[in-house]
Amino acid sequence: MGGVDPVSNIVRFLVILFLQVFIFRQVSLGWGGADYMFIFLGPLFIALIPLRTPRPLTVIFAFLFGISVDFFHETLGVHAAAATFCGYARQFALAILEPHDGYKVKASPDGKDLSLSWWLSYLAYLVAGYTIFYFSMEAFSPVFWKQITLKSLLTAPASLLLCVIMIAFLRPRI
Amino acid sequence: MEQILRILYNNSSFFTFAVLQLLCLYLIVNFNSPQNAIAAETASIFTGSIESATVKAEGYLNLDEENEIQRREIADLRSRLPESGYSTTVGIDSIEDQAYAQRFIHLTANVVNRSPYSPNNTLVIDRGTSQGVAIGQGVIGSKGLIGIVALPTENFSRVISVLHRSARISAGLRNNAYGTLQWDGQDPRRMKMTDIAEYLTIAKGDTVFTTGFSNVFPTGQVIGTVESSEVQPGTGSQNLIIELINDPLHTNNAFVIRDLFKDELAKLKPLK
Repeated sequence: MGGVDPVSNIVRFLVILFLQVFIFRQVSLGWGGADYMFIFLGPLFIALIPLRTPRPLTVIFAFLFGISVDFFHETLGVHAAAATFCGYARQFALAILEPHDGYKVKASPDGKDLSLSWWLSYLAYLVAGYTIFYFSMEAFSPVFWKQITLKSLLTAPASLLLCVIMIAFLRPRI
Repeated sequence: MEQILRILYNNSSFFTFAVLQLLCLYLIVNFNSPQNAIAAETASIFTGSIESATVKAEGYLNLDEENEIQRREIADLRSRLPESGYSTTVGIDSIEDQAYAQRFIHLTANVVNRSPYSPNNTLVIDRGTSQGVAIGQGVIGSKGLIGIVALPTENFSRVISVLHRSARISAGLRNNAYGTLQWDGQDPRRMKMTDIAEYLTIAKGDTVFTTGFSNVFPTGQVIGTVESSEVQPGTGSQNLIIELINDPLHTNNAFVIRDLFKDELAKLKPLK
């Protein structure tokens, strides 16, 4: 499960999907009849897609994860859109955070090589992108920018916290 | 071609992203009701503005045709205006005399032509024999007298104005003095009343009425006021200068007065 081989990735896909749709779907905080805080694990799966995966495949995998979440959340297309965007944006996050001597091409982002602060920034980028895009698609109109901002500000830290905790268990090892 | 392929290959992740994103948008719009509503609303705003612009442009293209339609409409409406037609509407008003039997019928009329100002003024009204106008009927304005019908045709009538030297009108005063009113062709604001008995005292400002003796005008129509009196030496009578209450030469709205008893009264000719 911690490896970079296809089976590990598929297992990771299923485990994160299971956690997302059966456990963290129940988690939502809000007031006044509306929920403002959710937990998204999509960014975690996208972050852990192996580094050497071709970029189009990364996008497609991200889409597959998003659409799978959508089937359980009855929000067909919304998670898929956010995950697709996140998968596309991953390459830019990686480019920004690239170490001086480059990544090890054969590995997924590797816990042994990369510090916790690197993981934190990397996940923060993806979580932020995923969250903002998700709530934009959910509201579907710029006139709801207040709700989009509020939900993003509350959801992103919670999701980031969960993702960082999960990294401890799922961090791939070579 | 090779370059296009290279661009596609180099940006393959972007194109994958774009295609999947479009698919996601399609799914979102079609399977989520709030987003569907928003999308429909947005689409209707856009298509609405495009549609109104199209309609506007089409309106300009149809402008010639619209102009023609409007002009025909205007022509049709103009032909319906009162002044473009001969009005056969007969407005009738009536005065009941003291016996409460109908005697005078008033027929609305408009002055449509006037002779140039001269000592013998005449005018034309737009009522004729088809409305019952006949020779000798009086014509009055909303106040004061205008004239007497002299020559009716089918739809129009020539009226001798009271300001005509051959017009003679029987006029009287409150004290039952009466005389004949005529115009000397001088001042259109004043007429002369003759044949008043010399002994009667006439005060300046007394009101002069029609007597109705000539069966032309109803009794009691105000003509004007006495301005001055002048005794005619040796005749036993005096003449009055009457200031007219109206301006007979410049009145447009008139009433033709039909005396229903005229024929009956005509039988009572003075015995020879």
